[in-house]
Amino acid sequence: MLKGHLDLIVLAALSAGPAHGYAVIEEIRRKSGHAFDLPEGTIYPALHRLEQAGLLVSRWVTAESGRRRRVYALTRRGERALAERRAVWHQFCAAIGGLLAGARPRGRPA
Amino acid sequence: MISDYIETLVDALSFDRSLSGRVRQEVEDHLWEAVAADPRAGGPKAEQRAIANFGDPHAIAAQFAVVSLAKQTRRVSAAIILVIAGVFIAMKARVAWYAMMQCTIGEDIRAVSGIVSLVDRYSFWLSVIIGIIGWAYVTGRRIPAAFYTTDRKQISRFLLLCIAATGALVVSVISDGVLTALRLPGTELSPEFLIPVFSMAIEIACAGVLFFQIHSVTQRAMSTRILLKT
Repeated sequence: MLKGHLDLIVLAALSAGPAHGYAVIEEIRRKSGHAFDLPEGTIYPALHRLEQAGLLVSRWVTAESGRRRRVYALTRRGERALAERRAVWHQFCAAIGGLLAGARPRGRPA
Repeated sequence: MISDYIETLVDALSFDRSLSGRVRQEVEDHLWEAVAADPRAGGPKAEQRAIANFGDPHAIAAQFAVVSLAKQTRRVSAAIILVIAGVFIAMKARVAWYAMMQCTIGEDIRAVSGIVSLVDRYSFWLSVIIGIIGWAYVTGRRIPAAFYTTDRKQISRFLLLCIAATGALVVSVISDGVLTALRLPGTELSPEFLIPVFSMAIEIACAGVLFFQIHSVTQRAMSTRILLKT
């Protein structure tokens, strides 16, 4: 189920600002209260895919360690996609919430 | 330990050099940062934990391969349109040159030339139509996160369209070559005939580019399948 929402999760993590892969994973962990336990490597193909789709842009920067790292940021299209997916998610949650709240134990048929 | 892991991952992506180079740097930075952030001190144990948290290199390589394949199919779909446009420009430039140089076809070969021109025209426009269909087929699709049967079928259909467009274009280029050869013999090789020969060279190179691009998509599709099987 988590994999189906990976794009939304990554876009949401990057909504705070540009970040490299490791920082994206840390942000996902922090914001989700360590609820998501995906293999960390899964994030990178998702970042590449979202960049390919035009939802992210990336550039190389040199870290304090001297290593080169790729920093990703949301594009305008990415921001719009995040807003749309967020709205869909809220609708879905409201619908499921309504169903669960209205659920009654099944009685015997009359 | 980390370098061995990265080599395994990068080796699996050797079919895409730019991707493997980028992945090497990104993953290396990630793993060393994970080791540095490990609260239970550094050393081989921390490296081991960083690698374990990162995941199976073959599974991750397979996910990258799917993205790479999607990227390459889009590139090829655009290349088809550009190559066809290139052939069209070369063709028109040659015809304009013939008109400017008042170079006409002899009466004895006019009938043959007419048939070849017909083949040329129809095969060229066939390649245009199939090329546009191929481009539209790929451009309108979302980049998949995995490589399901439907994605495999889409790639196969796209490759078929590419092969059909290239086949029609090759027929057109061969016809152009025949038409050029029909005009050139009997005339001494002079600088004014460099333009037709040069335009033919451009057409052949364009067809070659398309062959190379299709070959690269086929290779990547095969590599992706192999990676997904492992």
